[in-house]
Amino acid sequence: MNCSSAQERFADLLDARASDAASTADVRAHLASCPDCQREYAALAQTLAALDSLPVAKPGPALRKNFYAMLEEEKNSAASIAASVVRRRHAARVSLWRWILIPVASGALAVAAFLAGTRYAPPAATPAVDVATKQELADLRKQVAQLANDTLNYQRSTTDRLQGVLATVDQKNPNQKVIADLIAALALDPSATVRLSAIDALYPHANQPAVRSGVLASLPREQNALVQVEMINFLVAAREHEAVPELERMTRNPALDAQVRDAAKRGLAQL
Amino acid sequence: MVSFSATDAVDSATDTLSDHELMLAVRDGELDALGELFERHHGPLFGFLVKFTGHRNAAEDIAQTVFQRMLKYRHTYRDDGSFTAWMYHLARRCAADHFRKSNAAPTATDPADFRQVADDSPNAGDRAATRDDHALLHSALGCLDRDDREVLLLSRFQELSFNEIAAVLECSVGAAKVRAHRALRALRDIYLQLQKENLS
Repeated sequence: MNCSSAQERFADLLDARASDAASTADVRAHLASCPDCQREYAALAQTLAALDSLPVAKPGPALRKNFYAMLEEEKNSAASIAASVVRRRHAARVSLWRWILIPVASGALAVAAFLAGTRYAPPAATPAVDVATKQELADLRKQVAQLANDTLNYQRSTTDRLQGVLATVDQKNPNQKVIADLIAALALDPSATVRLSAIDALYPHANQPAVRSGVLASLPREQNALVQVEMINFLVAAREHEAVPELERMTRNPALDAQVRDAAKRGLAQL
Repeated sequence: MVSFSATDAVDSATDTLSDHELMLAVRDGELDALGELFERHHGPLFGFLVKFTGHRNAAEDIAQTVFQRMLKYRHTYRDDGSFTAWMYHLARRCAADHFRKSNAAPTATDPADFRQVADDSPNAGDRAATRDDHALLHSALGCLDRDDREVLLLSRFQELSFNEIAAVLECSVGAAKVRAHRALRALRDIYLQLQKENLS
Protein backbone atom coordinates (compact mmCIF):
# COMPACT_ATOMS: atom_id res chain seq x y z
CA MET A 1 0.00 0.00 0.00
CA ASN A 2 1.41 3.43 -0.92
CA CYS A 3 0.93 6.74 0.96
CA SER A 4 -1.80 8.02 -1.33
CA SER A 5 -4.07 5.00 -1.01
CA ALA A 6 -3.41 4.81 2.74
CA GLN A 7 -4.39 8.47 3.21
CA GLU A 8 -7.56 7.96 1.21
CA ARG A 9 -8.61 5.45 3.86
CA PHE A 10 -7.74 7.57 6.90
CA ALA A 11 -11.44 8.46 7.03
CA ASP A 12 -12.24 4.84 7.94
CA LEU A 13 -9.63 4.86 10.69
CA LEU A 14 -10.84 8.18 12.09
CA ASP A 15 -14.52 7.24 11.95
CA ALA A 16 -15.12 5.26 15.11
CA ARG A 17 -18.56 4.16 13.84
CA ALA A 18 -17.43 2.44 10.70
CA SER A 19 -13.99 1.00 11.24
CA ASP A 20 -13.27 -2.47 12.42
CA ALA A 21 -9.72 -3.66 13.01
CA ALA A 22 -9.77 -6.26 10.21
CA SER A 23 -10.85 -3.90 7.42
CA THR A 24 -8.23 -1.30 8.32
CA ALA A 25 -5.35 -3.66 9.15
CA ASP A 26 -3.45 -2.80 5.93
CA VAL A 27 -3.78 0.96 6.57
CA ARG A 28 -2.53 0.49 10.13
CA ALA A 29 0.41 -1.57 8.89
CA HIS A 30 1.38 1.17 6.42
CA LEU A 31 0.96 3.83 9.09
CA ALA A 32 3.30 1.99 11.48
CA SER A 33 6.12 2.19 8.99
CA CYS A 34 5.60 5.60 7.32
CA PRO A 35 6.58 8.79 9.22
CA ASP A 36 4.95 11.10 6.61
CA CYS A 37 1.59 9.37 6.95
CA GLN A 38 1.97 9.34 10.73
CA ARG A 39 2.32 13.14 10.67
CA GLU A 40 -0.66 13.51 8.33
CA TYR A 41 -2.78 11.18 10.44
CA ALA A 42 -1.79 12.90 13.70
CA ALA A 43 -2.73 16.33 12.31
CA LEU A 44 -6.15 15.08 11.19
CA ALA A 45 -6.76 13.30 14.50
CA GLN A 46 -5.75 16.45 16.40
CA THR A 47 -8.17 18.56 14.34
CA LEU A 48 -10.96 16.09 14.96
CA ALA A 49 -10.23 16.00 18.69
CA ALA A 50 -10.34 19.81 18.79
CA LEU A 51 -13.59 19.78 16.85
CA ASP A 52 -15.13 17.22 19.20
CA SER A 53 -14.11 19.29 22.22
CA LEU A 54 -16.00 22.39 21.06
CA PRO A 55 -18.62 23.33 23.66
CA VAL A 56 -22.19 22.54 22.69
CA ALA A 57 -24.30 25.69 22.38
CA LYS A 58 -27.61 25.59 24.22
CA PRO A 59 -30.67 27.41 22.88
CA GLY A 60 -32.35 30.12 24.89
CA PRO A 61 -35.82 29.66 26.41
CA ALA A 62 -37.44 31.62 23.56
CA LEU A 63 -37.04 28.71 21.14
CA ARG A 64 -39.12 26.36 23.29
CA LYS A 65 -41.68 29.07 24.08
CA ASN A 66 -42.09 30.01 20.41
CA PHE A 67 -42.32 26.38 19.35
CA TYR A 68 -45.16 25.55 21.73
CA ALA A 69 -46.98 28.78 20.80
CA MET A 70 -46.70 27.81 17.14
CA LEU A 71 -47.87 24.25 17.86
CA GLU A 72 -50.87 25.53 19.81
CA GLU A 73 -51.74 27.91 16.98
CA GLU A 74 -51.55 25.08 14.45
CA LYS A 75 -53.75 22.87 16.62
CA ASN A 76 -56.31 25.65 16.93
CA SER A 77 -56.14 26.29 13.26
CA ALA A 78 -56.60 22.57 12.49
CA ALA A 79 -59.57 22.49 14.88
CA SER A 80 -61.12 25.52 13.26
CA ILE A 81 -60.65 23.99 9.82
CA ALA A 82 -62.36 20.80 11.01
CA ALA A 83 -65.21 22.81 12.51
CA SER A 84 -65.66 24.82 9.33
CA VAL A 85 -65.68 21.62 7.28
CA VAL A 86 -68.44 20.25 9.54
CA ARG A 87 -70.40 23.46 8.96
CA ARG A 88 -69.85 23.23 5.21
CA ARG A 89 -70.99 19.61 5.21
CA HIS A 90 -74.15 20.62 7.02
CA ALA A 91 -74.74 23.35 4.43
CA ALA A 92 -74.00 20.84 1.67
CA ARG A 93 -76.57 18.41 3.14
CA VAL A 94 -79.20 21.19 3.18
CA SER A 95 -78.27 22.08 -0.36
CA LEU A 96 -78.41 18.38 -1.35
CA TRP A 97 -81.96 18.08 0.03
CA ARG A 98 -82.89 21.09 -2.04
CA TRP A 99 -81.50 19.38 -5.14
CA ILE A 100 -83.41 16.19 -4.32
CA LEU A 101 -86.70 17.81 -3.31
CA ILE A 102 -87.00 20.10 -6.35
CA PRO A 103 -86.86 17.31 -8.96
CA VAL A 104 -89.13 15.06 -6.81
CA ALA A 105 -91.69 17.85 -6.47
CA SER A 106 -91.43 18.58 -10.21
CA GLY A 107 -91.95 14.89 -11.01
CA ALA A 108 -94.98 14.69 -8.71
CA LEU A 109 -96.49 17.71 -10.45
CA ALA A 110 -95.85 16.15 -13.87
CA VAL A 111 -97.53 12.86 -12.81
CA ALA A 112 -100.52 14.76 -11.40
CA ALA A 113 -100.83 16.72 -14.66
CA PHE A 114 -100.62 13.49 -16.68
CA LEU A 115 -103.31 11.78 -14.60
CA ALA A 116 -105.56 14.84 -14.88
CA GLY A 117 -105.00 14.89 -18.66
CA THR A 118 -105.89 11.20 -19.10
CA ARG A 119 -109.04 11.63 -17.00
CA TYR A 120 -110.40 14.79 -18.60
CA ALA A 121 -109.06 14.69 -22.22
CA PRO A 122 -109.59 12.05 -24.92
CA PRO A 123 -106.44 9.98 -25.72
CA ALA A 124 -104.65 11.07 -28.90
CA ALA A 125 -103.99 8.57 -31.60
CA THR A 126 -100.47 7.14 -31.04
CA PRO A 127 -98.43 6.49 -34.17
CA ALA A 128 -96.72 3.08 -34.38
CA VAL A 129 -93.02 3.24 -33.37
CA ASP A 130 -90.57 0.63 -34.54
CA VAL A 131 -87.80 -0.93 -32.32
CA ALA A 132 -84.94 1.00 -33.91
CA THR A 133 -86.65 4.33 -33.29
CA LYS A 134 -87.33 3.35 -29.68
CA GLN A 135 -83.63 2.54 -29.18
CA GLU A 136 -82.63 5.82 -30.80
CA LEU A 137 -84.99 7.72 -28.52
CA ALA A 138 -83.59 5.92 -25.45
CA ASP A 139 -80.01 6.86 -26.47
CA LEU A 140 -81.04 10.43 -27.02
CA ARG A 141 -82.66 10.57 -23.56
CA LYS A 142 -79.45 9.26 -22.01
CA GLN A 143 -77.35 11.86 -23.83
CA VAL A 144 -79.66 14.67 -22.78
CA ALA A 145 -79.55 13.50 -19.14
CA GLN A 146 -75.71 13.38 -19.21
CA LEU A 147 -75.59 16.82 -20.83
CA ALA A 148 -77.91 18.23 -18.18
CA ASN A 149 -75.77 16.70 -15.44
CA ASP A 150 -72.53 18.15 -16.87
CA THR A 151 -74.16 21.52 -17.35
CA LEU A 152 -75.30 21.51 -13.73
CA ASN A 153 -71.72 20.76 -12.64
CA TYR A 154 -70.22 23.53 -14.73
CA GLN A 155 -72.85 25.97 -13.57
CA ARG A 156 -72.22 25.36 -9.87
CA SER A 157 -71.03 28.58 -8.32
CA THR A 158 -67.36 29.11 -7.43
CA THR A 159 -68.35 28.98 -3.76
CA ASP A 160 -69.98 25.58 -4.21
CA ARG A 161 -66.98 24.20 -6.06
CA LEU A 162 -64.69 25.66 -3.37
CA GLN A 163 -66.78 24.02 -0.68
CA GLY A 164 -66.52 20.74 -2.53
CA VAL A 165 -62.74 20.99 -2.49
CA LEU A 166 -62.53 22.13 1.15
CA ALA A 167 -64.80 19.32 2.32
CA THR A 168 -62.04 16.85 1.37
CA VAL A 169 -59.45 18.50 3.62
CA ASP A 170 -60.10 16.44 6.77
CA GLN A 171 -60.67 13.14 5.02
CA LYS A 172 -57.87 10.88 6.17
CA ASN A 173 -58.46 8.17 3.57
CA PRO A 174 -60.51 9.63 0.75
CA ASN A 175 -61.25 7.30 -2.12
CA GLN A 176 -59.58 7.62 -5.50
CA LYS A 177 -62.64 9.36 -6.94
CA VAL A 178 -62.20 12.26 -4.48
CA ILE A 179 -58.51 12.53 -5.31
CA ALA A 180 -59.27 12.35 -9.04
CA ASP A 181 -61.82 15.16 -8.57
CA LEU A 182 -59.20 17.27 -6.78
CA ILE A 183 -56.70 16.75 -9.59
CA ALA A 184 -59.42 17.58 -12.14
CA ALA A 185 -60.26 20.75 -10.18
CA LEU A 186 -56.58 21.71 -10.19
CA ALA A 187 -56.28 21.11 -13.92
CA LEU A 188 -59.60 22.43 -15.20
CA ASP A 189 -61.40 24.68 -12.73
CA PRO A 190 -61.69 28.23 -14.10
CA SER A 191 -61.26 29.81 -10.64
CA ALA A 192 -57.69 30.31 -9.35
CA THR A 193 -59.02 30.22 -5.78
CA VAL A 194 -60.49 26.76 -6.33
CA ARG A 195 -57.26 25.58 -7.95
CA LEU A 196 -55.21 26.93 -5.01
CA SER A 197 -57.54 25.15 -2.58
CA ALA A 198 -57.23 21.97 -4.60
CA ILE A 199 -53.45 22.01 -4.37
CA ASP A 200 -53.68 22.57 -0.61
CA ALA A 201 -56.11 19.68 -0.31
CA LEU A 202 -53.73 17.45 -2.28
CA TYR A 203 -50.82 17.90 0.20
CA PRO A 204 -51.97 15.00 2.42
CA HIS A 205 -51.81 12.72 -0.60
CA ALA A 206 -48.44 13.88 -1.92
CA ASN A 207 -47.00 10.45 -1.23
CA GLN A 208 -49.16 8.97 -4.04
CA PRO A 209 -47.33 8.91 -7.38
CA ALA A 210 -50.61 9.55 -9.25
CA VAL A 211 -51.13 12.79 -7.33
CA ARG A 212 -47.61 14.00 -8.03
CA SER A 213 -48.00 13.11 -11.71
CA GLY A 214 -51.35 14.91 -11.82
CA VAL A 215 -49.88 18.10 -10.39
CA LEU A 216 -46.90 17.86 -12.71
CA ALA A 217 -49.15 17.35 -15.74
CA SER A 218 -51.26 20.39 -14.78
CA LEU A 219 -48.26 22.69 -14.33
CA PRO A 220 -47.57 23.50 -18.03
CA ARG A 221 -51.27 24.40 -18.56
CA GLU A 222 -51.45 26.71 -15.56
CA GLN A 223 -51.51 30.44 -16.37
CA ASN A 224 -51.88 32.00 -12.92
CA ALA A 225 -48.51 32.86 -11.31
CA LEU A 226 -49.72 32.22 -7.74
CA VAL A 227 -50.99 28.76 -8.61
CA GLN A 228 -47.83 28.02 -10.59
CA VAL A 229 -45.67 28.88 -7.55
CA GLU A 230 -47.83 26.71 -5.27
CA MET A 231 -47.61 23.81 -7.73
CA ILE A 232 -43.81 24.14 -7.81
CA ASN A 233 -43.69 24.25 -3.99
CA PHE A 234 -45.86 21.13 -3.88
CA LEU A 235 -43.64 19.20 -6.28
CA VAL A 236 -40.50 20.25 -4.42
CA ALA A 237 -41.98 19.38 -1.01
CA ALA A 238 -43.02 16.01 -2.41
CA ARG A 239 -39.47 15.60 -3.78
CA GLU A 240 -40.81 14.81 -7.23
CA HIS A 241 -37.64 14.48 -9.27
CA GLU A 242 -39.67 13.97 -12.45
CA ALA A 243 -40.43 17.71 -12.24
CA VAL A 244 -36.84 18.70 -12.99
CA PRO A 245 -37.16 18.98 -16.83
CA GLU A 246 -40.35 21.06 -16.54
CA LEU A 247 -38.78 23.34 -13.91
CA GLU A 248 -35.75 23.78 -16.14
CA ARG A 249 -38.04 24.80 -19.01
CA MET A 250 -39.76 27.29 -16.73
CA THR A 251 -36.51 28.92 -15.64
CA ARG A 252 -35.74 29.56 -19.32
CA ASN A 253 -39.18 30.89 -20.24
CA PRO A 254 -39.06 34.74 -20.33
CA ALA A 255 -42.86 34.93 -20.69
CA LEU A 256 -43.33 33.63 -17.15
CA ASP A 257 -43.64 35.86 -14.11
CA ALA A 258 -40.25 36.54 -12.43
CA GLN A 259 -41.51 35.04 -9.16
CA VAL A 260 -42.46 31.83 -10.95
CA ARG A 261 -39.02 31.60 -12.55
CA ASP A 262 -37.41 32.21 -9.13
CA ALA A 263 -39.58 29.52 -7.56
CA ALA A 264 -38.55 27.12 -10.33
CA LYS A 265 -34.88 27.95 -9.77
CA ARG A 266 -35.21 27.40 -6.01
CA GLY A 267 -37.07 24.18 -6.65
CA LEU A 268 -34.34 22.93 -8.96
CA ALA A 269 -31.70 23.70 -6.34
CA GLN A 270 -33.67 21.76 -3.75
CA LEU A 271 -34.42 18.80 -5.99
CA MET B 1 -49.05 7.30 47.23
CA VAL B 2 -47.87 8.12 43.74
CA SER B 3 -50.41 9.93 41.62
CA PHE B 4 -50.47 8.94 37.95
CA SER B 5 -52.20 11.41 35.70
CA ALA B 6 -53.42 10.97 32.14
CA THR B 7 -50.63 13.30 31.00
CA ASP B 8 -48.05 11.01 32.64
CA ALA B 9 -49.60 8.06 30.84
CA VAL B 10 -49.39 9.88 27.49
CA ASP B 11 -45.82 10.99 28.26
CA SER B 12 -44.66 7.49 29.09
CA ALA B 13 -46.38 6.17 25.97
CA THR B 14 -44.65 8.70 23.69
CA ASP B 15 -41.32 8.06 25.46
CA THR B 16 -41.30 4.53 24.13
CA LEU B 17 -42.10 5.47 20.52
CA SER B 18 -39.35 5.90 17.96
CA ASP B 19 -38.84 9.21 16.17
CA HIS B 20 -40.27 7.65 13.04
CA GLU B 21 -43.42 6.44 14.83
CA LEU B 22 -43.91 9.86 16.40
CA MET B 23 -43.60 11.63 13.06
CA LEU B 24 -46.07 9.23 11.47
CA ALA B 25 -48.47 10.12 14.30
CA VAL B 26 -47.93 13.83 13.57
CA ARG B 27 -48.61 13.16 9.91
CA ASP B 28 -51.89 11.47 10.87
CA GLY B 29 -53.03 14.50 12.83
CA GLU B 30 -51.70 13.89 16.36
CA LEU B 31 -49.87 17.20 16.46
CA ASP B 32 -48.90 16.86 20.14
CA ALA B 33 -46.43 14.14 19.15
CA LEU B 34 -44.30 16.90 17.60
CA GLY B 35 -43.68 18.20 21.14
CA GLU B 36 -41.80 15.03 22.02
CA LEU B 37 -39.79 15.24 18.79
CA PHE B 38 -38.96 18.87 19.59
CA GLU B 39 -37.74 17.90 23.08
CA ARG B 40 -35.56 15.13 21.66
CA HIS B 41 -34.01 17.04 18.78
CA HIS B 42 -34.05 20.80 19.18
CA GLY B 43 -30.81 20.84 21.21
CA PRO B 44 -28.64 18.95 18.70
CA LEU B 45 -30.32 20.77 15.80
CA PHE B 46 -29.61 24.14 17.39
CA GLY B 47 -26.00 23.10 18.11
CA PHE B 48 -25.55 22.15 14.46
CA LEU B 49 -27.08 25.42 13.24
CA VAL B 50 -24.94 27.58 15.56
CA LYS B 51 -21.79 25.99 14.20
CA PHE B 52 -23.12 26.09 10.65
CA THR B 53 -24.22 29.73 10.62
CA GLY B 54 -21.88 31.12 13.28
CA HIS B 55 -24.77 33.07 14.82
CA ARG B 56 -26.98 32.13 17.76
CA ASN B 57 -29.91 34.31 16.67
CA ALA B 58 -29.88 32.95 13.14
CA ALA B 59 -29.66 29.41 14.52
CA GLU B 60 -32.71 29.97 16.73
CA ASP B 61 -34.69 31.45 13.83
CA ILE B 62 -33.77 28.59 11.51
CA ALA B 63 -34.53 25.92 14.14
CA GLN B 64 -37.94 27.52 14.65
CA THR B 65 -38.56 27.50 10.90
CA VAL B 66 -37.52 23.85 10.66
CA PHE B 67 -40.23 22.83 13.16
CA GLN B 68 -42.75 25.08 11.40
CA ARG B 69 -42.00 23.32 8.12
CA MET B 70 -42.31 19.92 9.80
CA LEU B 71 -45.88 20.89 10.61
CA LYS B 72 -46.59 22.42 7.22
CA TYR B 73 -45.11 19.56 5.21
CA ARG B 74 -46.00 16.74 7.63
CA HIS B 75 -48.06 15.08 4.90
CA THR B 76 -44.97 14.64 2.77
CA TYR B 77 -43.20 12.53 5.43
CA ARG B 78 -42.89 9.06 3.95
CA ASP B 79 -43.57 5.67 5.48
CA ASP B 80 -40.02 4.58 4.78
CA GLY B 81 -38.46 7.83 5.96
CA SER B 82 -35.77 8.50 8.55
CA PHE B 83 -36.91 11.32 10.80
CA THR B 84 -33.42 12.64 11.55
CA ALA B 85 -32.42 12.65 7.91
CA TRP B 86 -35.68 14.44 7.03
CA MET B 87 -35.14 17.01 9.79
CA TYR B 88 -31.62 17.83 8.61
CA HIS B 89 -32.84 17.90 5.03
CA LEU B 90 -35.36 20.58 6.06
CA ALA B 91 -32.69 22.34 8.16
CA ARG B 92 -30.42 22.46 5.16
CA ARG B 93 -33.10 24.10 3.03
CA CYS B 94 -34.03 26.58 5.76
CA ALA B 95 -30.35 27.47 6.21
CA ALA B 96 -30.01 27.93 2.43
CA ASP B 97 -32.99 30.32 2.54
CA HIS B 98 -31.35 32.16 5.42
CA PHE B 99 -28.05 32.55 3.57
CA ARG B 100 -29.87 33.69 0.44
CA LYS B 101 -31.78 36.31 2.40
CA SER B 102 -28.84 37.56 4.42
CA ASN B 103 -26.59 37.24 1.36
CA ALA B 104 -23.60 37.15 3.64
CA ALA B 105 -21.05 34.47 4.32
CA PRO B 106 -21.36 33.18 7.88
CA THR B 107 -18.67 34.21 10.30
CA ALA B 108 -17.85 32.91 13.73
CA THR B 109 -17.82 36.28 15.38
CA ASP B 110 -21.00 36.24 17.45
CA PRO B 111 -19.87 37.69 20.80
CA ALA B 112 -22.38 35.51 22.63
CA ASP B 113 -20.41 32.44 21.58
CA PHE B 114 -17.11 33.62 22.99
CA ARG B 115 -17.69 35.37 26.29
CA GLN B 116 -14.53 37.22 27.23
CA VAL B 117 -14.80 37.31 30.99
CA ALA B 118 -11.81 37.89 33.31
CA ASP B 119 -10.97 34.59 34.98
CA ASP B 120 -8.86 34.72 38.21
CA SER B 121 -9.44 31.15 39.35
CA PRO B 122 -6.77 28.38 39.42
CA ASN B 123 -5.94 26.90 35.97
CA ALA B 124 -7.27 30.09 34.42
CA GLY B 125 -4.32 30.05 31.99
CA ASP B 126 -5.22 26.59 30.69
CA ARG B 127 -8.82 27.55 30.30
CA ALA B 128 -7.89 30.72 28.46
CA ALA B 129 -5.74 28.65 26.11
CA THR B 130 -8.68 26.30 25.53
CA ARG B 131 -10.96 29.26 24.86
CA ASP B 132 -8.43 30.61 22.37
CA ASP B 133 -8.30 27.20 20.72
CA HIS B 134 -12.07 27.08 20.47
CA ALA B 135 -12.17 30.58 19.04
CA LEU B 136 -9.54 29.58 16.46
CA LEU B 137 -11.51 26.50 15.51
CA HIS B 138 -14.71 28.50 15.20
CA SER B 139 -12.87 30.92 12.92
CA ALA B 140 -11.50 28.00 10.91
CA LEU B 141 -15.01 26.56 10.57
CA GLY B 142 -16.24 29.99 9.46
CA CYS B 143 -13.55 30.12 6.75
CA LEU B 144 -14.48 26.69 5.47
CA ASP B 145 -16.54 26.35 2.31
CA ARG B 146 -20.23 26.09 3.30
CA ASP B 147 -20.71 22.61 1.80
CA ASP B 148 -17.59 21.35 3.55
CA ARG B 149 -18.71 22.80 6.87
CA GLU B 150 -22.12 21.22 6.48
CA VAL B 151 -20.89 17.68 5.78
CA LEU B 152 -18.27 17.91 8.53
CA LEU B 153 -20.78 19.00 11.15
CA LEU B 154 -23.31 16.37 10.09
CA SER B 155 -20.70 13.63 10.27
CA ARG B 156 -19.17 14.63 13.61
CA PHE B 157 -21.95 15.97 15.78
CA GLN B 158 -25.35 14.72 14.76
CA GLU B 159 -24.93 10.99 15.31
CA LEU B 160 -26.03 10.33 11.76
CA SER B 161 -24.89 7.29 9.82
CA PHE B 162 -23.29 7.91 6.44
CA ASN B 163 -26.40 6.39 4.90
CA GLU B 164 -28.47 9.15 6.53
CA ILE B 165 -25.91 11.85 5.67
CA ALA B 166 -26.05 10.68 2.05
CA ALA B 167 -29.87 10.98 2.18
CA VAL B 168 -29.63 14.51 3.63
CA LEU B 169 -27.10 15.62 1.02
CA GLU B 170 -28.81 13.63 -1.75
CA CYS B 171 -25.62 11.90 -2.85
CA SER B 172 -24.16 8.41 -2.62
CA VAL B 173 -22.71 7.05 0.64
CA GLY B 174 -19.27 6.91 -0.94
CA ALA B 175 -19.51 10.53 -2.09
CA ALA B 176 -20.62 11.62 1.41
CA LYS B 177 -17.60 9.90 2.96
CA VAL B 178 -15.19 11.45 0.46
CA ARG B 179 -16.71 14.90 1.01
CA ALA B 180 -16.47 14.54 4.80
CA HIS B 181 -12.83 13.54 4.63
CA ARG B 182 -11.97 16.30 2.17
CA ALA B 183 -13.70 18.79 4.46
CA LEU B 184 -11.69 17.58 7.46
CA ARG B 185 -8.45 18.05 5.57
CA ALA B 186 -9.49 21.56 4.51
CA LEU B 187 -10.34 22.41 8.12
CA ARG B 188 -7.03 21.02 9.29
CA ASP B 189 -5.14 23.24 6.82
CA ILE B 190 -7.02 26.38 7.85
CA TYR B 191 -6.80 25.56 11.56
CA LEU B 192 -3.02 24.99 11.42
CA GLN B 193 -2.59 28.18 9.44
CA LEU B 194 -4.55 30.18 12.01
CA GLN B 195 -2.54 28.60 14.85
CA LYS B 196 0.68 29.66 13.14
CA GLU B 197 -0.60 33.21 12.63
CA ASN B 198 -1.68 33.32 16.26
CA LEU B 199 1.79 32.29 17.49
CA SER B 200 3.70 34.74 15.29
